[in-house]
Order: sequence, then structure tokens, then C-alpha cells
Amino acid sequence: MTDRAITGIGVAVPRGRIDADTIENAWGRFEATGIDTTAVPAGDEDALTLGVEAGERALSAASVDGGAVSSLAFATTTPPLAEEDLTVRLGSMLGVEEAARRPTFTGSTRAGAAALLAGFDFAPEGPVLVVVADCPRGEPDSAIEHAAGAGAVAFVVGPAGGVRLVEHAAAEEPYPGTRFRQAVEHDVRAIDVRSYDRAAFVEPVTAAIDGLEADPSGVDAAAIHAPDGDLPYRAAKAANVEPDLVDRCATVADLGDTGAASAPLSIARAVADGHDRILAVGYGSGASADALVLAGSCPVGWPDIEPNELDYPSYLRRRGDLSGSPPAGGGASVSVPSWKRSLPQRHRLVAGQCDSCGALAFPPEGACPRCHELGDFAAVTLPRTGTVETVTTVGQGGAPPEFAPLQQRSGALGVTIVAFRVDDESVSVPLQVAADAEPVEPGQTVATVCRHLYTQEGVPRYARKVRPELV
Amino acid sequence: MRDAYLLGAGQSDFGAFPERSYRTLFRDAFEATLSAVPDEFEADRIDEAVVGTLGVGGRQIGLSGPAVTEHVGLHGVPCTRVENACAAGGYAVRQAVQAVRSGMADVVLAGGFESMTDVSSDAVRYWLGVSGDTEYERLAGTTFAGVYAQMTDAHMRTYGTTPEHLAHVSVKNHANGAHNPHAHLGFECSLDDALDAPTVADPLTVYHCCPVSDGAACAFVVSETVAREFTDTPIRVAGVGASSDRVGLAQRETYTAVPASRRAAETAYDDAGLRAADLDFAEVHDCFAIAELLAYADLGFCAPEEAGELVADGETALDGSLPVNTSGGLKSKGHPIGATGVGQVAEAFAQLTGTGGERQVDDATVGLTHNVGGSGGAAVVHVFEREGAA
Repeated sequence: MTDRAITGIGVAVPRGRIDADTIENAWGRFEATGIDTTAVPAGDEDALTLGVEAGERALSAASVDGGAVSSLAFATTTPPLAEEDLTVRLGSMLGVEEAARRPTFTGSTRAGAAALLAGFDFAPEGPVLVVVADCPRGEPDSAIEHAAGAGAVAFVVGPAGGVRLVEHAAAEEPYPGTRFRQAVEHDVRAIDVRSYDRAAFVEPVTAAIDGLEADPSGVDAAAIHAPDGDLPYRAAKAANVEPDLVDRCATVADLGDTGAASAPLSIARAVADGHDRILAVGYGSGASADALVLAGSCPVGWPDIEPNELDYPSYLRRRGDLSGSPPAGGGASVSVPSWKRSLPQRHRLVAGQCDSCGALAFPPEGACPRCHELGDFAAVTLPRTGTVETVTTVGQGGAPPEFAPLQQRSGALGVTIVAFRVDDESVSVPLQVAADAEPVEPGQTVATVCRHLYTQEGVPRYARKVRPELV
Repeated sequence: MRDAYLLGAGQSDFGAFPERSYRTLFRDAFEATLSAVPDEFEADRIDEAVVGTLGVGGRQIGLSGPAVTEHVGLHGVPCTRVENACAAGGYAVRQAVQAVRSGMADVVLAGGFESMTDVSSDAVRYWLGVSGDTEYERLAGTTFAGVYAQMTDAHMRTYGTTPEHLAHVSVKNHANGAHNPHAHLGFECSLDDALDAPTVADPLTVYHCCPVSDGAACAFVVSETVAREFTDTPIRVAGVGASSDRVGLAQRETYTAVPASRRAAETAYDDAGLRAADLDFAEVHDCFAIAELLAYADLGFCAPEEAGELVADGETALDGSLPVNTSGGLKSKGHPIGATGVGQVAEAFAQLTGTGGERQVDDATVGLTHNVGGSGGAAVVHVFEREGAA
């Protein structure tokens, strides 16, 4: 095995929650065993934004700057676009400049474990950032949707000194149909033959664990992929792993089925709770599994967020089941080439410092806002926190039509002007309040976060928004 | 430099006329202006035309100036279109004054028009957004309502301005507009109507926001020689001022004033040799209720912290010490973007010629018009003075 080790872990989960009783009241039944609540992304959250948030936390936990990352891996079964190298945008939002490798792992919930394994395998030219994020969904009345959660976890894999990969084993067995998504669909489906589904999960998971040299009973926690709150325990039992070990780091009861991020999130929880020998099993339908034994400890950034309990209509709105497309219109649109030019400002709030008088300018173009000299600006990345100067809440009649789909999902928009301070200079930037964030007030310190802004010409656009600073 | 004079001005009805073309609306305004001047004046004396329009809906973005002047028979007259968002009309008047003062022309038509209601409300918001900082401010989620709401929020926190103060602006302007046959929303409203209306962008309600309107307006700006051919009490363009600023609110030096308005007013007062205390009335840019309160301070009527009480005390009502927006303002008369600034001049002409009807200010001799583009990226102020008055 490699000497490389995980030196920092970051987690991101949405604030939104829906509990099993609410779904049961709506449908007369709740089909997902062992799940109390599921995490529901806000109207402007998706796998990419959750991945950025987790990535920022992992970099911070590992004390690594985004610019130092040498390779970037992204794993998800729910990429916002089916075709496009999203690691490039992910890297732009995280400040990753020149990654030697940028693999994407998708098409299976096993992708999360596969990406982490690849992170250990990369040549040791520098820190590797592995980002795993997922937000699966199904038809509203399906067991898959009842279980569907959301979350992201990111790992910084460095030369040594953290959580090491002790060993790895894999297993496969053909089992078509237990969980699949057709090429043009966004809902995951299953043929729902209970005994077949169980066998399709338990057999490869057990076989992968059996392939390890280590005795699985010697671990402190078992981070087993969890599409619901039943299957990981069945597989553990078959592999002679105590259910308590699964319980120690399970996230499924609170967050739901987090897809490719399921086992990686449980790894994060196990490390955060001080378990230093961990069995982890990633699983993908089809069916295949990776079993890993990890040992050691490292810092984990797990945000302390106040959940936002949703009623069922709000949940449906948020999922987009009750919203339409952006209205037709024209005028004032920002073309994709123009948008591309401004990506450093959208993704990282890169301002400019006037080379004549030192004033900050955002965006960094044109004449200096203070001395009015038409000189050059030195790039300055604004801090992640600023102070609210003004705020308003804009109803649907007062927002540009580009934001109609977001308002259909999330209601009125908060809009602010936020002042960012760099040394003795300050610059003000108009920014939207992230959907599902607590309201903000003038004078309050807020933190920036990458969110989906709007989609135009079919191209999703991401930008910094603000929310109250998290503890 | 010679003086410029206002020989006549008029406007079409402002309102929702989705079946009308912008050319026919302009014809209404042109004919209204011709009817405001003595019959002996012939339209073929017009040397030059300047018209303001934004081009909402994308209709005829190119050459819409000649399209309207040729439509009303000003064949061959050089015409320039001015685009400065909501201040397009005011800047068209300013260009006309420059042409006369410079000696290049003796008779200039200044006009403005906009056609906004024949497209969906979504499409209108797309188009209204073209006048702000489209790349950052708009993409933070605001149209102008959101930007002015932030200015309102800042004004309230800094100066103690209240929702009631904002509502008084709406009530006053609707009371005036109810006397204006050309007004889009020519009805009265109560304080409760304004306070209890649905929120557009907190704290601005529907009654704190001007309507989306169609309409056109024209003014004839002429040399002194031409003016005195037709009247012994000509209206002189006593002062002109204009200024620009950063287009986005976040880039400006303050959120509780419109610096371009202040600079434009200072220039116009200096040019006229007059000051705010000399005014008998003012037409100010009240696209949102807060905009009128900002204008009170920017134009020197009072200190910023006194603006709310100025309107609440009735000082700017029709029978107050300085009537503001006797026409009903943008709030009640309407806001067909390019026509607005010229429409203000039409109201000034009516007041200074004693033809204001039920909304006439007694002995009006000196008046001011104030037109703002966007949330303050451009502003233009004119001071008019009737000569030969006792």
C-alpha cells in the first residue's frame, strides 16, 4: 500500500430536512427503512456546490491552499451536466490552478470509494483533493425518493501523516436492475424485487470484505455504503461485522441515501469521532464493491448547521417538481463568453488593487474607483467573510426573470451589498443571499459560498453568494 | 453663448396602449406640442431633432429616432437618438439646448418615447434590467426595485425615514395625478393603500413603485429671436446641469444620495444664477418613493434627514411651499422611459404658461425638472424661468 494519507477531511450537507413522518403523511406510507430524516438541497445547491463547500473545508482542515493541489478528483452520480468536465469549474471555484490529473468518477455509487482509492494512488507530486458529492432522487412516491438525501465530503490526500490506506479488496457479481438511471432521466429507478435487491447488495459487499487480509472484527467503525438503513446492517451481519460498528459512523438515518458520498461520509464521521481503524465499503449497483481498511487520524471540518425542517409542499417546490422553466424574454442577458471572462470574480471574488493609490476595485476593470487613474490592478482575492451594508428581500415581481425558477423553488430572494476588507482598504460587492440561509442584516458578518446562480442557454452558472457565518 | 428658450411642449397620454405603435404615440406628442404654440409656428422651421428612448422590447434598436421624425413629417431633418436609460428624455432636452446655445440650430425638437406594455411582464423586466449594472448588480438578483429598496433600507437606517414617509410620497403624487388627464394612474390613493400593498422588494410596496407605461413627449427648444417672434413672456432655459456616476450602486460613494443628481443640480443652479429657494415648483424623478425623498436633499430642498417630514408635513403638496411633481410624477402620471424627461418639461411648460388646470401652481415663474437614469448612473437637471413676469 501507499504511504500517502488523508491529512484533512471536509463535509457539506444541506440545511433542509424532511422527516419520514411528513412523507408518510403525504403518501400514506414511507418506503425507506431505517431513515428518520433526509437532507434536501436548497434551490441553488447541487452536487457541484456541495462539493465546493466540502472541498473548501477539507483544504482548510488540512491547511492546504487550493493553489497547491496537484490533482483533483470528483465523484458523483448526479453531475449537474451529463457531459462536461466539471472538475474544471470545481477547480476554478476552489482556486485549484494547474492540476496534473482531473478524473471524474460517475455512473455508480461506487464512484466515491473509487475516487478516494485513486487519490491514494496518484503520484506524490503534491496534495490530491478528492471531492465526493451526491444528491440522488427518484419518483416522488418511490422508495428511492423517500430515502434520497444529499451530502458531500472531500479528502486531502498528502504525502504522509494522517489516515493511511492499510489495504483494499474489490468484488463484483452481475446483478442488473437493482438501481439504475436511464440516459435521459434524472430519477433513479429500481425493479424493486426485495430478495434480489438484498442479494445484489450483500453478496459483493461481503465478498469484498472477505477479500481483505485484515480481520473485520478488529476495526473500530464500519463505514458501509447505505442506500437505506437496512442493507448495510444485513451485509455487516453476513460479513461478521458487528452492527454496532456500522452504527458508530452511520449517516443514513439523518441524511438519507447520499449516493456516492455515503461510505465516504461515514469515513468522515468515524474519523471525526476519533475511530482510528476503519472498515469502509463503497458499493455500486450492477453490482460491485470496494472494501478499504483505513488507519490513523486527521482534522475533520464538519459544519454545525441548524437544520431547516420542511413541509411537504416546500419539499416538492425545492425538488423542482412544482416549478417551470425560465420565462422567455431577452435583453440584459450576460452571454456565456462574457460570463467566462468574469469567472475569477464569480467563483473566487478576485478584486483588483489600484497600482496608483491602492484602492480596491470590484470588478477589477476600468478606471480606479478612487483616483480615477486608468492604470493596472493587482489581483487580490477577497476574504471569505465580509460585512453586510444593505439588504432587501425581493419578491418575484422585483427580480430579473433569470431568477424565476429559483424563486419558484425557494421563494423571495435576499439581496445584499457586502463590504470586504483587505488590510486598510474596503470594497463593496452586490451578492445574493444563499437559498435556505437565515436572513442577514446590515452590520452582520457573512461568509461567501458557491451556489448555482441561474441557468441560461442551458448552461448552469455558479457564483459566490452569502450566508451567515457558520460556527 | 446665447440663451435657449422653451417655445412649447406637450405629451401623449401615458398609459397602457399595447395596440399603439411608438410612432403613433410620438405623433400624439408632436401634435400636442404644436397645439401648445401659436398657430403661426410652422413645423418646417425645425432644424434638428434629438429623441430619447431605451428601446424596451428590442423594437427598432437602430434608427428609431428618424423613424419617429419621418413619421410625423419632419422629412430630412437630422435626428439623433439619445440613450441614457430613464434619463434619455432629459438628456435629449439638454442636447437640444446645447444645439441652440451653440448657434448650430434655431429650432430643435427634443422628444422621447417608449412602448413597454405590448410585451410580457417578464420580458419588460429583462429590458428594464439593461439600464443597470447587468453583470453584477442584476445577477445578485435585483431589478431597479431591488436596488432602490437597498437605498431605502440604507436611508431608513441612516436618517430614520419610515414607511409612512414613503407612503406620503405616493399619496401626494396620486392626488396630483388625479388632476392630470394624461396620467397613467390618475386616481387617488390613501396612506393605508400604500402601506398595505404587496411588497415588491422590501420595504417597497407596489404603491412605492411607478408603473410600466407607454407614451411620448416633445418640446421645442428655440433661440431667443425665434421665441420672441411668438411671445412677450418667453420661457428661458435658465440653467442646465448633468452628471454621470458608476452604474452599479455598490460602486458609488454613498447609498443614501444620488451624487450625480447633486452635481447636476449644482451646475444647473450655477448656470441659472438661482437656487432651490427661488423655485416655485419642481418635477423630480420619483420612479420609487425613496427616489423623491433622495431628490429633496440632492436638489437642495432640505437636509437628507428632513426629507421624510418635508412630504409628511405637506410642504411639497400642490398647496405647499414647494409643490413637487404636480403632474403626478412618474408614480401616477407614468414612466415611459424615454418620454419621462421630456414629459417633465411638458409639465414645466404648462405650469409656467398658466395652463396647468386644476393642478396649476399660483404665479409659477421658476421651475425645475430632474431626470435620473438607472439608479443614479446619469442625472440631468433643467431650471426654467418665465421672462417678462411682473
